[in-house]
Amino acid sequence: MRNKTNWKATILLMVGAILILFPLYLTVTIAFKTPQEMSGNLLALPENWTFDNFIRAIEITNFPNALGNSVFVTALTVLIVITTHSMVAYAIARNMHKKFYKFLYFYFISAMFIPFPIIMLPLVLQTSAWGMDNLVGLAFLNGVMHLAFNVFIYVGYVKTLPIELEEAATIDGASQWKVFWKIIFPMMMPMHATVAILTALAAWNDFMLPLVILSDSSMYTLPLVQYAFQGQFSTDYNLAFASYLMAMLPMIVLYIFVQKWIIGGVMRGSLK
Amino acid sequence: MKKDHVFLLMVLPAFLLFFIFHTYPALQGIFYSFTNFRGYGDWNFVGFFNYINVFQDGRAMSAYVFTFQFAIVSTILVNIFSLLVAIGLNSKIKFRKTLRATYFLPFILSVLIVSYIFQFMFAHMLPQFGQAFGIDFLSRNILGDQNLAWLGIVTVAVWQSTAFNTLLYLAGLSTVDDQVYEAADIDGANSWAKFWRLTFPLIAPFFTINMVVAMKNFLMAFDQIIALTGGGPGRATESISLLIYRGGFEGGQFAYQSANAVLYFIIIVAISVIQLRILERREVK
Amino acid sequence: MVKKQAGVFTGAVGLSVLLAGCGGGTGTGDDGATIELFSNKSESIGTYERLIEQFESEHPEISVNLEAPPEAETVLRTRLTRGDMPDIMSIGGNATYGELAREGVFYDLSESGLTDEVQDSYVDMLSQLAGPEHDAPYGLPYATNANHVIYNKEKVEELGIEIPQDWGDFINALETAEDAGETPIYFTLQEAWTGMAIWNAVAGNIVDEDFAERKNAGEATFVEEYDEVADKMLELLEYGHSDNFGVGYGDGNTAFANGGSVFYIQGNWAIPEILESNPDIELGTFTLPSNDDAEENELVSGVDVVLTVSETTEHSEEALTFLEFMIEQEVAEQYIDEQSAFSAVEGVYQEDEVFDGIREYFEDDRLTSFPDHYYPAGMGVENLVQDFLINQNKQESLEEIDSEWDFNRNR
Repeated sequence: MRNKTNWKATILLMVGAILILFPLYLTVTIAFKTPQEMSGNLLALPENWTFDNFIRAIEITNFPNALGNSVFVTALTVLIVITTHSMVAYAIARNMHKKFYKFLYFYFISAMFIPFPIIMLPLVLQTSAWGMDNLVGLAFLNGVMHLAFNVFIYVGYVKTLPIELEEAATIDGASQWKVFWKIIFPMMMPMHATVAILTALAAWNDFMLPLVILSDSSMYTLPLVQYAFQGQFSTDYNLAFASYLMAMLPMIVLYIFVQKWIIGGVMRGSLK
Repeated sequence: MKKDHVFLLMVLPAFLLFFIFHTYPALQGIFYSFTNFRGYGDWNFVGFFNYINVFQDGRAMSAYVFTFQFAIVSTILVNIFSLLVAIGLNSKIKFRKTLRATYFLPFILSVLIVSYIFQFMFAHMLPQFGQAFGIDFLSRNILGDQNLAWLGIVTVAVWQSTAFNTLLYLAGLSTVDDQVYEAADIDGANSWAKFWRLTFPLIAPFFTINMVVAMKNFLMAFDQIIALTGGGPGRATESISLLIYRGGFEGGQFAYQSANAVLYFIIIVAISVIQLRILERREVK
Repeated sequence: MVKKQAGVFTGAVGLSVLLAGCGGGTGTGDDGATIELFSNKSESIGTYERLIEQFESEHPEISVNLEAPPEAETVLRTRLTRGDMPDIMSIGGNATYGELAREGVFYDLSESGLTDEVQDSYVDMLSQLAGPEHDAPYGLPYATNANHVIYNKEKVEELGIEIPQDWGDFINALETAEDAGETPIYFTLQEAWTGMAIWNAVAGNIVDEDFAERKNAGEATFVEEYDEVADKMLELLEYGHSDNFGVGYGDGNTAFANGGSVFYIQGNWAIPEILESNPDIELGTFTLPSNDDAEENELVSGVDVVLTVSETTEHSEEALTFLEFMIEQEVAEQYIDEQSAFSAVEGVYQEDEVFDGIREYFEDDRLTSFPDHYYPAGMGVENLVQDFLINQNKQESLEEIDSEWDFNRNR
């Protein structure tokens, strides 16, 4: 009885999907049009698909450099987050009965409620005084900003792992350190995936933190470059949209290939 | 090495990073809020002077009013839409995987870039549409209208944030056992009643989390506003984050905006706590 | 299942690190010095890039990085907070310049002799901004501007409009344009700052030049002295198009270039942008005659670009070399040609016939400065003016501008 296809819902959802896809359709078509075609029907497909806009955008915005910056920051952030956050979450999860660790847990979690602007102004002073107004500094700060959420879901996951395995290993003479890296860390793999996805997406798309932290435009990440070149794009929307499309493309391509995995990762995180 | 020491060692890197780059700047911010520091140069203590001024500051007040208006409306809309989409995606439909992937797509895109794209649509497409169909309020760029510009920002926020919240609701719905429905079907309950009596109570915890998370994110709105309106027209869409950024740097109001940020923090904590209390009490019922 | 995911995950990270390794390299290169040129104008990016190329070929040991971000003043302040000032700053001669000069972030140019090469009156204008206690030459006035009305020559001739000399003339001209079915003025008020081009043009000929000084001393208010300015702004607004607050500067330039209106109230900086959209358009300029008395109408002009060197730079020598390069006659000429600007460098004149209508003001020294250059930075007056134009509530808006000014000193 419940196996009949719900066509009403299917159609409604397809209409909604058009609303989601429309801005992207517009981005793609405008990016391939010539400025002359802009005065015609904005919804039409390009008459001759031109790559000129992309070539100009790559040149003007120095796209390879920005892409490199974004990839570097994202990769380093994920690396920092996976190692330090899983470690601290494990320690907390196994010692929740102790006052100190319980305190630590709530201390970290409370950061979820601290708005970024309250630390923004002093952070700018501090990072530049310490020579951290660069991509490496940005990656470490990203790690700090995501600590609260990551600890929250890591701790939730570690609690579900059976403690017997560790106890057996410890009896066999393995140090606690080894137990973590050899046994627990690999077992946390599904959660690593979730954390990596969410952190990578946030780091990749972040705008405000790089805006105030990075001092040199040669370090700008992809979103920041779009902002920095608004003046040069001016009313050349074809150029601008080509640049936007290129900035979004790496994530979109990745998403198309591993979307099942990304969605699964995010859903797993939310069930913790 | 002793077991306890190893645990301490594991805590250390994250703790140090967090303390040095989160707690310490936060304390510094509180400290500076009692001074007249401009971000450079000399400074003196001024006591509660900055705090008293924030309360008399029309610009700050309008930023708070706008931010809350935007955050509340967006939170409600996002949750309505994402719940609807999630229920739709959870029912027996065709192309489920493709549709689910489509609805989640906005989540992976940069807020800033999406806002630039919408900015173009508001300026160049909607007015054409409005003129063609004789819809008066759409025949001009809504971002240029003080009474409508915020709706443009809400539109972008809803378009983008529905993705993530839909997924959270889907996760919630996946925990609901089909047998519950079958029992209800036998009882002959209609779908509206089924939703409120069965589904909703079961996914209530997800509703709570969604409300709190969405609200908190919208209260910090920055990227969308920079790209869509820059805070205008006038100061109609200047959010608190934008005000702190602009005033704190451009205006040389480092200390003053630090005081503003502290108040902002207190308000966010208060709201989150109230939200959790109210929503959790409802869950218990 | 777990294993498969792990593989993908490691692969993704590995690939990312690999990519980062390829893209990260942006070092300074050889042993030469790299100096940073920070500019607050998006309009001059192309010109600066060409000049930098020329400079670098003449001075292969120095390389220059141009930075021209949006909201440049905010970015510059952020960098001041960071203690990371650019080596050379090319900024406007406004309140921010004055404040930074007082803060001591600029290198004192008196020993370089550079300021002898530029017109004294502009050097004086800058020291006025910095205040009496900081009258050393901290900045090199480079380009100056004019805030005027730009008109579409073809349309004006077609309509038989004479260049207006006083307010009554101007309103008549707008009426003529409107009666002929044209849009008289193209407003671009979605971007608040464009409202200031009008505000300054109107106020420049109505409000006394010492207003800011008296306002700071508590002896003057906007409510009392900007009443006429406010009325006239609203009067102008009646001659706009259907979406005055929905169009931005870039789109406005394009629209005006393609015959969107007869008049356009903007500074000289808009002219190259307009010509880029439509190289064939014939443009003319005249001063906005906001005063009822033709004799009182002067041209609003200020220092558009002042070149400064950071006090803390390690490359002051290279920076000064760049400044010397900039004031060479040919370079200065190239700058004003491309930018449709006016030069502060002695002996360099703007010959473009677009400016025929305002040339005499320069020659007769009938110039007045931008009123808002003396307003406190950070009060965000442009948004208040934009708000006033939208809501058209004169009394309330002027009171708010007054209180924001006073309040800004408490922040």
